[in-house]
Amino acid sequence: MIAMDLEDIFSSRLRMKTLKLLDKMHELNVSGIAHRLGVNYGVATKHLKVLEEEGIIQHKMFGRIRLYRLNENSPKTKAVQNLIEVWEHANKQ
Amino acid sequence: MSHYRSVFKDETRLDINYIPYALPHRESELRLLKEFFSFALQSPEKMTQRVIITGDVGTGKTALSQRFGTEIAHEATKKSVNLYYVHVNCREYRGSLFLILQHAVSVFHPNFPKRGYAAEELLGMLMQMLDEENAHIILTLDEFESLVENEGGEAVYKLTRLHETRPSKPQRLSLICILRDLKIIERLDASTRSSLQSNIINLQKYSKQQLVDILAARAVLAFKPSAVPEDTLEMIAENAFSENGNARFGIELLWRAGKYANADELDTVTAECVRKAVSSIVPAMRRSDLENLNLHEKLFLLGVARIFKQNKNASVTLAEAEQTYAVVCEEFNTSPVSHTQLWKYLRSLSAIGILKADVIATGTRGRSTNVSLPRIPASELEKELDNLLEDEKT
Repeated sequence: MIAMDLEDIFSSRLRMKTLKLLDKMHELNVSGIAHRLGVNYGVATKHLKVLEEEGIIQHKMFGRIRLYRLNENSPKTKAVQNLIEVWEHANKQ
Repeated sequence: MSHYRSVFKDETRLDINYIPYALPHRESELRLLKEFFSFALQSPEKMTQRVIITGDVGTGKTALSQRFGTEIAHEATKKSVNLYYVHVNCREYRGSLFLILQHAVSVFHPNFPKRGYAAEELLGMLMQMLDEENAHIILTLDEFESLVENEGGEAVYKLTRLHETRPSKPQRLSLICILRDLKIIERLDASTRSSLQSNIINLQKYSKQQLVDILAARAVLAFKPSAVPEDTLEMIAENAFSENGNARFGIELLWRAGKYANADELDTVTAECVRKAVSSIVPAMRRSDLENLNLHEKLFLLGVARIFKQNKNASVTLAEAEQTYAVVCEEFNTSPVSHTQLWKYLRSLSAIGILKADVIATGTRGRSTNVSLPRIPASELEKELDNLLEDEKT
């Protein structure tokens, strides 16, 4: 697997929204993410797959339920969380 | 503008959801509950427990269980045991096993999806979560009747026989079932019944003195010093005792009485505040009850109402009541009835719940009778009687 470039990952508005959503909600299933982003299941799944392949998010299965969350062990995730925090803090000021 | 005065120090201590640190007269039951679950702090994976707590409304079932839950969870943290206490009111979740389990799951995964699977699958998911976190759970099913009524025995069977379906795995789920009446258990099949009924804690109705102790303990937490006189507490306890020993009713009455004291800008919670509180909760006086009284019963009652309107005490002697009655008779141009007849009236007024008569021993000189007005605000009673007596004149 070839790692994607930063601009490829973050060029998608939906991927950025997914990351912000998981940062805020801690964990969600695919339908929950799709519903909150206002997209269909397939679109949400496609973006989740990209983010998971980059190691930024991970999932856990409970029966048929797949719960996604940020991968706290990844340095990329820490960078994303830091970016969201700094950005939102600056916007509040 | 005048400063707002309050008899309360912290009225949240009278809230139905507040669980006090000490539970007067439930100490031994709390120790027993801890004993039943002592394994959970030593080797929680080796066994599970099922306990039934039963008793009438207001006997402290929920408070006992929640106090236990807080204490065992605290102990578990100290011993690095991953133990959760989860309290669910089955009625709030419409007696649905699915919704009850969803509440338990939300402890571990707050955003777990709410649809798309069955209760049995959800139970499996809960066990998976517990396995992954090496956690144990004591699930309290409050108002257990609601679950049995809605789901029948099957749901209880699933919960109680869970470990038979996962024989080689550590034990994870213990149950506390809270219910008013054990009769509901008869609806369950024999094996579920036997697995539930081995540990039963039956909470007896509180005595009047026990209710006084409970109310006094709450009053210390909720009210400013000396804001609730002893006879006010006794009067509230008396009311709670007559409501089947319901401590919850007593605590609510104490809170309401405090509110009436504040509304009247008083420094203490008086007997009249309690009467107003009672009549705001239960329809204490029906006009027809008063209409059916004869003239002298009404006059006697009017005298009693006038005494309590002026007097902050919860009770007066029959002699005092009789003197006031004589004054009322003068006002209405009629001769008072005899002491014996008045005593009979007092008994019939007690029988219909308007007054209360307590015969008390007075040292070597025999007995005397105390009269109290337990439920109806004196001002309201006086107004009603004035109207009725006016009607009789015309």
